[in-house]
Amino acid sequence: MKDLLGFLIRRLGWMAITLWAVYTVSFVLMRAAPGSPFSAERAMPPAIEQQMRARYNLDAPPLQQYWDYMWGILSRGDLSWSIKLEDYSVNQVIAEGFPVSASLAIFALVFAIILGVSAGVISAVYRGTVADVAMMATAVLGIAIPNFVLASIAILLFVFLIPLFPAAGWGTLRQVALPAICLGLPVAAYIARLTRAGMLESLSREHVRTAFAKGLPKRTVIIKHVLPGALLPVVSYLGPATAGVLTGSLVLEKIFALPGMGSHFIYAATQRDTTLATGMVLTYTVLLFVMNTIVDLAYAVIDPRVELE
Amino acid sequence: MPLELRRAFLILAAIVVMVSLIWASRFDEMPPAEFSFQNGTDPKTLDPHRATGQPESRILFNIFTGLLEELPEGDPDPETGVQPMTPQPGIAESYEVSPDNMTYTFQLRDDVTWSDGVPITSADFVWSWTRMLHPETACEYNFQLFGVQNAEAYATGEVKPGDKVEVELWDRPGETIDSEPAPQTFPRGTIVHGTLKALDKPPKPNVPEDATKEEKSKATADWQSEWLYTVDLARRDGDEILWDDVTKTVTYTKNLQTPLAKEDTQRAHNVLVAFDQLGGVEAPDPTTLIVHLRDPLPYFPYLTAYYPLFPVPRHCIEEHGKPMWTRPENIVTCGPYKIGLRKLRDRVRLVKDERWYDADTVEIESIDALSIESQNTALNMYETGELDWVTDPPVTLIEELKKREDYHAAPYLSVYYYELNTKRPPLDDVRVRKALSMAINREQIVREVTKAGQQPAFALVPPGIAGYTPAQGNRGSLEEAKRLLTEAGYPGGRGFPKFTILYNTSESHRAIAEVIQQQWQNNLNIKADLQNMEWGSFLDKRQQQKYDISRAAWNADYPDPNTFLDLFLSKSPQNNTAWKNPRYDELLSQAASESDKVKRMELLREAEAIWADELPAIPIYYYVGLNIIKPNVSGLLPTPQDTHPFQTIRLEPTP
Amino acid sequence: MNLPDSRKNEEALAKLLEESHKIRGVSLWKDAWRRLRRNRPAMASLIFLIGLGLVAFLTPMLPLQSPLDKDLNNRRFLSPSFEPITMGSREGLKFADGKLTSQLALFEAEIAAETAEALAINDPLKQAEQFESIQDRIRVEHPFNQLWNQLGSVSFKMVQIRVAIFGDYAIPSIFGTDKLGRDLLARVFWGARVSLVVGLVATLVSLMIGVSYGAIAGYFGGWIDAAMMRIVDMLYSIPFIFVVIYLVTFLGEESVKAWLESYGIDQIMIFYIIIGAIYWLTMSRVVRGQVLSLRQEQFVESARTIGASPMRIVFRHLVPNVLGIVIVYLTLTIPAVMLFEAFLSFLGLGVAPPDVSWGLLLNDGVEALSSVKLFWWVVIFPGAALAMTLFALNFLGDGLRDALDPKMKNR
Repeated sequence: MKDLLGFLIRRLGWMAITLWAVYTVSFVLMRAAPGSPFSAERAMPPAIEQQMRARYNLDAPPLQQYWDYMWGILSRGDLSWSIKLEDYSVNQVIAEGFPVSASLAIFALVFAIILGVSAGVISAVYRGTVADVAMMATAVLGIAIPNFVLASIAILLFVFLIPLFPAAGWGTLRQVALPAICLGLPVAAYIARLTRAGMLESLSREHVRTAFAKGLPKRTVIIKHVLPGALLPVVSYLGPATAGVLTGSLVLEKIFALPGMGSHFIYAATQRDTTLATGMVLTYTVLLFVMNTIVDLAYAVIDPRVELE
Repeated sequence: MPLELRRAFLILAAIVVMVSLIWASRFDEMPPAEFSFQNGTDPKTLDPHRATGQPESRILFNIFTGLLEELPEGDPDPETGVQPMTPQPGIAESYEVSPDNMTYTFQLRDDVTWSDGVPITSADFVWSWTRMLHPETACEYNFQLFGVQNAEAYATGEVKPGDKVEVELWDRPGETIDSEPAPQTFPRGTIVHGTLKALDKPPKPNVPEDATKEEKSKATADWQSEWLYTVDLARRDGDEILWDDVTKTVTYTKNLQTPLAKEDTQRAHNVLVAFDQLGGVEAPDPTTLIVHLRDPLPYFPYLTAYYPLFPVPRHCIEEHGKPMWTRPENIVTCGPYKIGLRKLRDRVRLVKDERWYDADTVEIESIDALSIESQNTALNMYETGELDWVTDPPVTLIEELKKREDYHAAPYLSVYYYELNTKRPPLDDVRVRKALSMAINREQIVREVTKAGQQPAFALVPPGIAGYTPAQGNRGSLEEAKRLLTEAGYPGGRGFPKFTILYNTSESHRAIAEVIQQQWQNNLNIKADLQNMEWGSFLDKRQQQKYDISRAAWNADYPDPNTFLDLFLSKSPQNNTAWKNPRYDELLSQAASESDKVKRMELLREAEAIWADELPAIPIYYYVGLNIIKPNVSGLLPTPQDTHPFQTIRLEPTP
Repeated sequence: MNLPDSRKNEEALAKLLEESHKIRGVSLWKDAWRRLRRNRPAMASLIFLIGLGLVAFLTPMLPLQSPLDKDLNNRRFLSPSFEPITMGSREGLKFADGKLTSQLALFEAEIAAETAEALAINDPLKQAEQFESIQDRIRVEHPFNQLWNQLGSVSFKMVQIRVAIFGDYAIPSIFGTDKLGRDLLARVFWGARVSLVVGLVATLVSLMIGVSYGAIAGYFGGWIDAAMMRIVDMLYSIPFIFVVIYLVTFLGEESVKAWLESYGIDQIMIFYIIIGAIYWLTMSRVVRGQVLSLRQEQFVESARTIGASPMRIVFRHLVPNVLGIVIVYLTLTIPAVMLFEAFLSFLGLGVAPPDVSWGLLLNDGVEALSSVKLFWWVVIFPGAALAMTLFALNFLGDGLRDALDPKMKNR
């Protein structure tokens, strides 16, 4: 228990450093990139532009801005007002977008794990059969097609050809299903391949052979002896998988018109919405870091050989 | 790690997954709206003084009402199907124009209220227009009121000794005398009035030529903050200001550190011409509003029906401040609809406002404005019945959609053109500009690329404005283009420097740019690069004139040629071409003060002819409004400005 | 012991080591190659990829249509067909007889005439001027300019060979045409050039950074390793797409562009070098793990005893030994980068026309996928090209992993 606590505290420290680094990099990048958040079709008089800058503290010396904004985040958790979405503060934008992105990501990941692991196990157990080859070919295909193509084809198939799902939008379970599946499929494909490889390796281990030799039922052996070892690479893949799901959601939110954070993320960066962009990057960093930490933790729990460092 | 702990952890993990799944599948189910449409990008703001784009305007036109309202009148044009729209009574039940076209007297309905029941009075308009013009509101559309006396000076902040001015003291809520300016511009600080006696400025700072735009703007702003205003304060008698009765003389400045400051100098925000006191707009009683114009603008009634001139709720703004007043739970409106709910990047739900003066005529109870940018997504939703009206169908499918009953296309007042940076050689040579223009095959572009019946453009003003015959422009021929290019010193395209076409990221702009790229290459042997940019950077490049050729477009703000010709005045903030023509400027200012409508149009036409001859920009085509509307919807007609009042929409029950 | 002697000894030892190393290496690679050859899918993939690379390189020489000539009037969205096509027949090109060869002959005759005229000039100054102007004319008015975009000197020669061999023949539009009437087959081939180069360049950059970083961390171990790996962990949590978006706009800035061009650097290249600089994280982890286990091996120890510098040990002795796993990982990074390119194109941040890449083609293709009318060929062919390439890379990667797996040795 003690090492667990120590591990978490150390991780928290690293997260703080990471966030600080990300904050600094995004701060520098945003000030170095050309273009102003106040560009409008009609040029603004200088005094007014200065005033707008002042409203977002963009007129202060860069170092001052750097500290002020950081202090605002640290002391009040206040990411300031969004520059472009005038009616909203960055915190509100995140509060509205996060649940959408999170629930999409959860569905996608759970779907990917269930599908990926079962496909991987089946094709490992029936190695060399038609089912195995077909499943692995599909899995490669899932990795080889960009998700915007996949989503567009899925819409044609499951919205128009077989009307199972609505075309787009957010608000019901049926509306989440198709984007979550499209988001999860490439991840599922990858997981399936990892599971299969892990299973094959485990199956050739001594203790598994012994278990089979003892005449234990196949099902028991696989679940008790083969799967835990085989799932290790899958667990360690979950960190990158989260990153993949988050990046993928940028595309799917666009295609399915979902009000998640992904569209804000791109929009903020391209439109020079300094405050919103910082808020988004920090949120994504926290998400990734937390997920990576959970994965490391899970890894240590499942694999007794690994110690928490 | 002990085994029990590991097992516990696994159970915990399973529980976490289950809980998160349950959490993720919880949705606030809401009943679908009766009518829903594609509104493009998410509206930036619901503040009529801050909004600019079409998605915002579609909502604003229906949650606020102006003095007048643009509504259908007469029969649709038999040829194009465009339904003429005229300004008809809105919050004002009638109005009178003086014979010289300089004074408008609006009679407000006496039963109009805001959506919270507070009555709307003429003073609301005076206040709203003051806010709209106030420099710190930074309303992009404030020029629409510049035809009103003193409005332009107020908005630009120009004052000169002898002007009657208002001074806003440094006491806005939350301000102390040496604090930063408060972010709230309305409610304002205490306003005092007086006559400007003197305006002293410190020497202008020297800004290096190579300073960034930001540095230059900061230097100017800092310098302006050091100006010292000497004001003879006027005595106030109730609501009336006795300008000639000077109580005392005070000096004001924005920045007390200014070297000019005297001992008793006071700090003030702005010293501006006293717009609301000088009779530009008057509210003699709660239901009468008198507007005195500077120029006899024949299109002024149209302006009052356009959203920047709509009234905004003073009581709400002063209570919540900006931007909190536009939150759905705070906002107070005065249109046929009010805001039911607003979900960022998802939808704005409009619900019928029973308090609106004409609520009986509004049929649809709830409308969803869905924020859908992707053209294909919108069409997919329409096809599956999730959407009733598509405002931006995919260009790829136009030919297919054209065959359908629910496809509605009609021209509207908007032009697509390529701006040329006339500072940069070789585009500073009018022969080169003409050659480039002549080498574009516009017929091919409208027939094979845009495909929806757009009209090729050779001049600036789209056809369809009553009383105006647009300039012809010069079609020229390929031979002429080649000859002009040779004359300019580039025979057969030899020696022509490479240049870049800039456009904002969009598939349709890209397609047009690619075709023009090929036409120039094929016809003149001229190579062009393409570069796309996101809207913000794109605007920046254009404004700083760091481009060669850039895509641009303009929609009419009011049905008058002036809205287009204005863009290319030498002092216009939208003139990014660096093109200047004194005769052009003169013709436009003559037209502004001309009260004879026919003569005025002639002057404008002459100006347009100059434009078409000098070509600071290459016109390409006049837009067509494209709408795909479910057959059970009626009353959603094509209009000259592509505006659509929702109170006229009717739904027939679907069989 | 005198110095020259010790140097001699050292050299001899090093030579010996190297030789033994080589022998060991050869046998390992030979063994792996033998096993790889038995793996049918991997071999098929390898052949496919080599063929693809060749074809992509030779694209200008193939009898393809122009990848950018838009026949708007007659050929928009043509479904795949075998209708023969003549190069340069589009009316808008105004080629003599509607043929590329005729126009080329005409143009060359004109140039020859002008050259002859120039040769007749006596004044050498004027003559030079005249030659200059002829060169200028060739640069601007050459008929190839109308059909291909900014051919480099090699590509230009290749196109010349293509015209010499195939004349006006071009493969019919068997992949159909796109919304602006361009031949999709030609675009898929020309797109392959960009997409493959992008994938390779970015991957090589990631390889260089990842391998050096991982090898150094693994070799030194201890706190250096810990710190370096923590940094990698940290970088894993950064959403890099954000950095990429900024870089795109930054590199698009006029002044930056001009500056890069003055050094003759392609903007796209820079961009993908940066992408490569982002993709090195996993590579460095993998290499580090391998090096960690290798550094206690005898040959490293002996190199150390003879006083080889750490850098030399890392790059001469350790890196070659992790090459196997690096190659496997390489075949997985290329697909990732190619998908990333497609993703950027989808966001409108990809290559600028008239350049073309598979990502751009797919983005155009997805636009034409609709329930109202299906222009299936616009998405199927570029999609298949990309999928097949990634498929092959994946299979090859699997095959290589099996082949290079020491546990599989002598099986």
